[in-house]
Amino acid sequence: MVPLKRLFTSTLGRKYLMGASGFALVLFIVVHLLGNLTLYTGSGDAINTYAAKLDALGIGKLILELGLGLTILLHVVTAIQVTYSSKVARAVQYDAPKSKGGPTKNTVTTRNMIITGLVLLVFIVVHLIQFRFGPKIEDGYTANVSGVMVHDIYRVVVETFLDIKNVIFYVGSMFFLGFHFRHGFWSAFQSLGMLNPRWSKPIYCLGFIIAILLTVGFLFMPIYIYATQGGAQ
Amino acid sequence: MAAHTTSKTINIKLKIWRQESVKDAGRFEQYSLDNVLTNMSFLEMLDVLNEKLLKEGVRPVEFESDCREGICGTCSLMISGQAHGPVRGATTCQLYMRSFENNDTITIEPWRAKAFPVVRDLVTDRRAFDRIQMAGGYTGAKTGPHADANAILVPKDLADRAMDAAACIGCGACVAACPNASASLFTSAKIAQLSLLPQGHPQRKERAIRMVGQMDKEGFGSCSNLQECEAACPKKISIQNIAIMKREYLFAALAANFREGMGSADGGA
Amino acid sequence: MSKIDLKSGAPEGPLAQKWDSYKANMKLVNPANKRKYNVIVVGTGLAGASAAASLAELGYNVKAFCTHDSARRAHSIAAQGGINAAKSYPNDGDSIWRLFYDTIKGGDYRARESNVYRLAENSVKIIDQCVAQGVPFAREYSGELANRSFGGAQVSRTFYARGQTGQQLLLGAYSALMKEVDKGKVTLFPYREMLDVVMVEGKARGIITRHLHTGEIERHAADLVILCTGGYSRVYYLSTSAMNSNVTATWRAHRRGAFFGNPCYVQIHPTCIPVSGSHQAKLTLMSESLRNDGRVWVPKKKEDCKKDPSQIAEEDRDYYLERKYPSFGNLAPRDIASRAAKEVCDEGRGVGESGKAVYLDFAAAIKRDSESVVREKYGNLFDMYHEITNENPYKNPMRIYPAVHYTMGGLWVDYNLMTNLEGLFCAGEANFSDHGANRLGASALMQGLSDGYFVLPFTVTNYLGTYAQELLKKVETSHPAFEAAEQNVKDGINKMIAVGKKGKRTPSEIHRDLGNVMWEYVGMARTAEGLKVAIEKIAQLQKDFDENMLLNDDQNLNSNLQVAGRLADFLELGALMARDALAREESCGGHFRVESQDEGEAKRDDEKYAHVAAWEYKGKGAEPVRHQEELKFENVKLSVRSYK
Repeated sequence: MVPLKRLFTSTLGRKYLMGASGFALVLFIVVHLLGNLTLYTGSGDAINTYAAKLDALGIGKLILELGLGLTILLHVVTAIQVTYSSKVARAVQYDAPKSKGGPTKNTVTTRNMIITGLVLLVFIVVHLIQFRFGPKIEDGYTANVSGVMVHDIYRVVVETFLDIKNVIFYVGSMFFLGFHFRHGFWSAFQSLGMLNPRWSKPIYCLGFIIAILLTVGFLFMPIYIYATQGGAQ
Repeated sequence: MAAHTTSKTINIKLKIWRQESVKDAGRFEQYSLDNVLTNMSFLEMLDVLNEKLLKEGVRPVEFESDCREGICGTCSLMISGQAHGPVRGATTCQLYMRSFENNDTITIEPWRAKAFPVVRDLVTDRRAFDRIQMAGGYTGAKTGPHADANAILVPKDLADRAMDAAACIGCGACVAACPNASASLFTSAKIAQLSLLPQGHPQRKERAIRMVGQMDKEGFGSCSNLQECEAACPKKISIQNIAIMKREYLFAALAANFREGMGSADGGA
Repeated sequence: MSKIDLKSGAPEGPLAQKWDSYKANMKLVNPANKRKYNVIVVGTGLAGASAAASLAELGYNVKAFCTHDSARRAHSIAAQGGINAAKSYPNDGDSIWRLFYDTIKGGDYRARESNVYRLAENSVKIIDQCVAQGVPFAREYSGELANRSFGGAQVSRTFYARGQTGQQLLLGAYSALMKEVDKGKVTLFPYREMLDVVMVEGKARGIITRHLHTGEIERHAADLVILCTGGYSRVYYLSTSAMNSNVTATWRAHRRGAFFGNPCYVQIHPTCIPVSGSHQAKLTLMSESLRNDGRVWVPKKKEDCKKDPSQIAEEDRDYYLERKYPSFGNLAPRDIASRAAKEVCDEGRGVGESGKAVYLDFAAAIKRDSESVVREKYGNLFDMYHEITNENPYKNPMRIYPAVHYTMGGLWVDYNLMTNLEGLFCAGEANFSDHGANRLGASALMQGLSDGYFVLPFTVTNYLGTYAQELLKKVETSHPAFEAAEQNVKDGINKMIAVGKKGKRTPSEIHRDLGNVMWEYVGMARTAEGLKVAIEKIAQLQKDFDENMLLNDDQNLNSNLQVAGRLADFLELGALMARDALAREESCGGHFRVESQDEGEAKRDDEKYAHVAAWEYKGKGAEPVRHQEELKFENVKLSVRSYK
């Protein structure tokens, strides 16, 4: 299957994979944020119900998680390949390169998507350890929602964000998400060849708006919990 | 009025990359040049420097230029970290000393990319572009009688967009300016031109596959959509062309089998 | 030495049927045999790239040589305005005959009827060819091709691609060339400069080149050699030609016996950006197309010359082209417009600091059509002007002055585009053929492509077919003729390097001096006295070159060595140009002898000078011999060229 091979080996092909996996991750993050908005209800019932419904998917949830993991892996591996090939392509660096301005999107953060990306990867690992692989029902984290006993994920959240270190780490990471997203969203469209001059600017703006909403949406959760659940005392 | 007749002079310091050959290590050398007329072009300033060096028994700085009107794409130079210097939409030969201030230190480096090895000083070998062009950057039309030119109607906006892409002068500033040393803008400009015009359609799939393949083979980096190439391009060629190239390549890569090697057959007919 | 009466070799018969009759009777080479022939093409501009691609398509093995990294950088790329073709799309009365007539008349009746007619015939095919290659010509909203008008014509027959027509046509030819490189039928030799032609038993069988990066001297054998190496404007140092444009290839061929035709025919283009200082290395042309909408003027009164142009009232302006040539106005041919500019500046009515400039004013066009329409048509030219002069031409009129732009002279060729040396062909600006004493705008691109696409493929085949037996016996590069030519080249380089170690004057300094002499005495107005001075002064500069030149001794990549080698040929050429101008005691086209005028207008002498001068080289320092080819005008009536 030569055509598919090209998708994995050519510089353009790798960017298709980056772009497509990026889109999938965007979708996930948006859904994730919407789910997490239940935290702002002030009690744990909403989020625990939501989590229970996800758990009820059983094997389906596992497949989704596996797919998500593979998508992240694909995104990361191609990113590393792309970065490596670019380093090789410019073996000798300039004395003091300077952007020429105009339409350029060449800034510290866009140039270093690999750095913001790797920070997010670390974040994901920590986040998974703390929540996906954190305290379970067996560890006594149970809650009663409408008479049914479910996993008390709300307690896990609250306990995590009572620690100021975690709050700082989560809030900080979300800035990286914002920067990564701002360039990534528009970039995915461009990488997949879906842009024309008329859409380019609106899509860049849309990416920017979503980046702010996501960052702010996620960023306030730890602060909200910390502030309302007594972490500040 | 008449700004160019009232030229003033400035003193400048130059920090220039000197390298004997591709095999040798290079280094920066410092030179100072006094009383440089501001209505001199940047390359005329280098001409003056070279005359001075020759008389002082120092080997003059090798750099390339030809038409000196911004169309042949021969001149290059990374000037204080910017491809073709600080002015947008201009080549180095169209840069004038009035863009600099008295006592400025100007750093001059060659294009830096693995695919553009340094030949000497500021001269690089850009034949990689020729090889990309060779891999399908053409229509198959042979010399001979063709249909009347007006038999092919091309909507004006398509013709204009094709012309925008075709304006590429092949200087390599896109590669030089790209933090990844990607040749996407160069390659895409030709692919886009020939995909916008009906004359280019018969071989568009082969063209996309082969030109991109050659671009990768030459060792250019990957496009990260930073748009610095467009900022540096003396003809302001849009990254819209890169989007077109990505489309063309995607469709070609996913397409059913087609005959590859558009140029390999019937050579001696 | 007896003088040779040169013949064009064009077929007999009616003008309109000569080329068809040639093709009907030419010798052919069968398809299977074509791959047995090797062709060398030197230069990859419009003529070279199109010839190399077309010959390779026929099946010949082509070696193409250029001095750059890529064929695409040849100076054809800088042509701005357009290409003429007798398509008559605008329905304004154009025809092949009219294009032929305009070109012959524009050339002041000093070109061959047969060649020019063929050129006009081919013009139509060129446009079809280029469109098929994907050249993005300007189009109307209907999707059809757009036309504009150019100097010396009263019809709109010029096709264009913004202000970058040369670029787009060259990229078309270049892409065709790269297609054949891809197929393996053309081998490209970049970074090579041709330094000698190798003649074996009376036929051109190869060349000697120098690799500009490694300095290596190389031998290349073939069955014939085609020179498409452009013009020699750089003999004036300041010109619109590229820094690396040179006469070396054709001059070395001339030294081997090829006749040089009409070297004194030089085109001085009226619309260039004026010289700003002695550091200047290159002049920039503003396309002639600007004269479609721009009005040329100077103040009527000398005392107004230093005033801001906006302060000069309409009635105090002298729109001298419109006044003197009411029917052609601002679109008078180049030689006439240039001379008129020189005239008003000589009268002291020139503008700008040096007083050597005239205004090209777009105020009327901007008022009539709006700034955006003007921007659409000429935006890139206006930007270019702004970059160079730091002035806004939308607000102030441009200042322009004539500058050397094109050389009509070149190697003498017959109807086959073959020089008097068998197997040595010459095409494009490098030959002398189609423009007579003055070239019309948008005709250079036409000629280069006509030669390459639609003439050489036939005449080369005819040559190979004619001498098939002889040419199938291959010549090896170990042949003594190659040995001798290589040694000759090496001796020349070693001599320059040896002098360069102890000399004082840089090659550029000597070149600049040569340019000043040429501009002063062999420029827009020439006198017998001045031409003699020029010959003397050039001899002095030759002495400087031979004895007092300063050079760095790097044998590999060394720009000064390249400049010096080219300068050697420019010095000899400069002297020949002065001699040719001296011998032609008439004014015609770009050649204006002050002694031969009629109330300021050029006065031809058809009795004595309706011929081509073809010069034979007789050795360094020896008097060259002037041969002639009589020009017969059977279809047009020689008349005073009037644009009034």
